[in-house]
Amino acid sequence: MIRNLVLFITLIAGYMTIHAQNKEVLYDFIEIPQALMVNPGMNTIYNWYAGVPLISGIYVQGATSGLTVNDIFAADGLDINQKVRDRALNSLSKRDEVNGIFQVDILNGGFRGQKDPANFFSFGMYVEGYALNYWPKDLAILAYEGNADRLGQRFDLNDLNTSGQFINVLHFGINRQIKNNLTLGARIKLYSGIVDFNSTNNSGYFETTVGQNNLLRNTLVSDMRLRSSGLDALLDANDNGGGIGSLLTKRGLFGGDPGLGFDVGVTYNLNKQTVITGSLLDIGLLYHTSDVTNYTLEGSASIEGVEIILPDALSDPNADFWEDLVNEIEELIPFEENSKNYVTFRPIKFYSSIRYNFGKQGEPTAACDCDNQTDSGDRSLYYLNSVGGQLYAINRPRGPQFAVTAFYQRRFAKVLALKATYTVDKFTASNIGLGMSLQAGPVNLYIMGDNLLAYGNIADGNYASFQLGLNIISWERN
Amino acid sequence: MKYIPKYLYTLIMCAAILSSCVDKQDFDQLDNLNVTPTAEASILYVETPERIINQVSGTNFYSQTFNFDAFSEEFFADNVLDGVVTYEVENTTSKPLDITFEFLDDAGNSLDSENFTVNAAPTAILRREIAYGPAGRSLDIIRNTSAIRVSATNLGDNTSVSTLPNPTVYLRSSAKFRIGLK
Repeated sequence: MIRNLVLFITLIAGYMTIHAQNKEVLYDFIEIPQALMVNPGMNTIYNWYAGVPLISGIYVQGATSGLTVNDIFAADGLDINQKVRDRALNSLSKRDEVNGIFQVDILNGGFRGQKDPANFFSFGMYVEGYALNYWPKDLAILAYEGNADRLGQRFDLNDLNTSGQFINVLHFGINRQIKNNLTLGARIKLYSGIVDFNSTNNSGYFETTVGQNNLLRNTLVSDMRLRSSGLDALLDANDNGGGIGSLLTKRGLFGGDPGLGFDVGVTYNLNKQTVITGSLLDIGLLYHTSDVTNYTLEGSASIEGVEIILPDALSDPNADFWEDLVNEIEELIPFEENSKNYVTFRPIKFYSSIRYNFGKQGEPTAACDCDNQTDSGDRSLYYLNSVGGQLYAINRPRGPQFAVTAFYQRRFAKVLALKATYTVDKFTASNIGLGMSLQAGPVNLYIMGDNLLAYGNIADGNYASFQLGLNIISWERN
Repeated sequence: MKYIPKYLYTLIMCAAILSSCVDKQDFDQLDNLNVTPTAEASILYVETPERIINQVSGTNFYSQTFNFDAFSEEFFADNVLDGVVTYEVENTTSKPLDITFEFLDDAGNSLDSENFTVNAAPTAILRREIAYGPAGRSLDIIRNTSAIRVSATNLGDNTSVSTLPNPTVYLRSSAKFRIGLK
C-alpha cells in the first residue's frame, strides 16, 4: 500500500511541492504560544504554557498553482483527455507546483525564567512531513504525447524536480527582552530524518533529430539523480507486513538521519503603537546516513538504430549488433545505484511584519505585567485593534517564493482575539484567512484557516491551510 | 459580558465560512484517461559501397540476420497499439538491386517482409511506409519480431562503376509506434 501511495504521490500528484508553508494567520498572533514557532523573538506575554500533547498544534496545508482538482475532475461532461491536454499539458509551466504539508506538535511548552523574568524558554517536539514536485512539463509531454513528429524539440530533464521529507524535530528556544523596545529570540532544532527522497538539480535533455546516417537520431544527455533515505526500510517493513510503527518511532527518535537547525527572530517597538518583527526559520541541514539508496543516470549518447557499415561489419560474422548497441548505451549512460551519504538543506523561511496598534486602550488581555519596566515591550494587548502587513519568503529549488499579507486583528477583552488576513502569493490573489484565539480561564483554543473564499468549492481552490491547537496558559507572572 | 453577542455572531460567521463545500467531482473519469504517447526511433541502417558488391561473386551479395529485441521487449509488446515502419532505399551504384527486409520470430520464421527493387543510379530515393495495427498489418508481427534479415541481390553486373562520387547503397529504416501506457 505504501508503495502505491508513494507512486500515487509521485505520479498523480504529479507535481507536488511543499513549503508554501506560510503561516500568515499565526504569525505575530501573540495571544497564541505557537506563534513563537514562527518568530522566536516574539513578545511573550505568558508566565508559562503547556500545549496539550498531540493537539497543541495541528497544521495541514495544500497548494497548487495553475491547476486545481476541479479543473480535471469536475463532473462537467467534458472529456478528461481534453481537459488534461488543455489545462495541464498546454497550460502549466515548469514553475507550477502543488504542495502539501502536515505538522503535528507532540509536545510544546514554555516557561519564564525564575531568576531573570526577561527570559522565556520554550521547548517541544513535532513531526513534519511534506512532498514536493514541480510540474515536469517536458517530461509530461514526452510521457503523454511522445517524441514523434517533434524533430529538434529538446525535452529538458531539469523539469524533474521533486522531493519529500518526513522528520521529527526536537527544539529548544530562548526569548529575551533585551531592551524596553527590543526582544530577541533564538531556537535550536535537532532534526531526526525519518524518510527523505529528492531528485533536484537534474540537467540534460532528450532530443530527436534527423539522423546523419539513418532517418532519425535520438540523443540523450543526462545528469540525473534520485536520492533517498529511509524509504527502502519503510517499503520493506510494509512488504513484510508490519513494523512500520516501530520503524518510524526508532528513526524519529534520533535513530534516523541527524540534522541541526536554528531559528532566530526579533521584535522591535518603533514607538508605543508601532511594532516591527522579523524571523528566519529552519537555517539548517540534515545529513542522510542511514538506509541511503541513490540512483544516477549520467552520460550522453546519440543513437540511430543498429548501424551496419560494410565492409567493417563483415569482420565479425557472429557479431550481435543489437546487443552491442544496448551495451554501448549502457556504458555511455550508466544507470547506477549507490549508498553515498548526502546532505539536504532545510528550506529557509523569512517572515517580517509591521503592525500598528490603535483603538481604545484597555487593560491587558492578561492580568500581567508584561514588561519588566513600566513602559517597555509590546503593548499590543493594551489596544483593541491592530493592523499591518507581513512579508513572507521561502527559498525554493527554482528561486524564492514570496507572499504579501495585510491583516487586521481585533481583541475582545481577555477572552477572544480574531485576526483576518488577505494574502497574495503565486497560488492565489484572493486568499482571505481568519484566525481565532479563545481564552477560557487558563485554557486557550485557537483555530485558523485561510483562502476561505475557496471553501465554497474547495476542489477549485489553489490553496488551503488549516490549523488548530489547545494550550494551558498561565498569564500570571511570579 | 457585553461582548458575548459579538462573540456568538463572530463564531457563527466563522463557522459559516469554514463550512466548506465541494462541487461534484467525478474521479471515475480517470478510467477514461488515455495516455498513449507515440515514440519514434531508427531501426536499422545498412551501408554497402559499390566496390563490395563488385567483389562478391554471384548475385546475392549480402544477406544477414540481425538480432533485434526492441519490439519483443515485454513492455513494448504488451502495450503497442499501432504504428508505422518507414523504409528508405537510396542507390547511387551502377547496378539495379533487389533488397528484402524480413521480420523474423524466435525460431527464425519469417513473419513479414518488404521487398524493394531499385534501378541503377541515377534513381530516386525509394521510401515506403508500412502501417501495423487496426488499419494495417497485424501487430502480432511486431510483437513477435526478434530478428531482422536483410537480403540484397545484384541485378546487374560485377564490373561497372558508377560515375557518382562514393557510390553506395543505403538502407534506412525507422519505426513510429503508439504505446498505450494507460
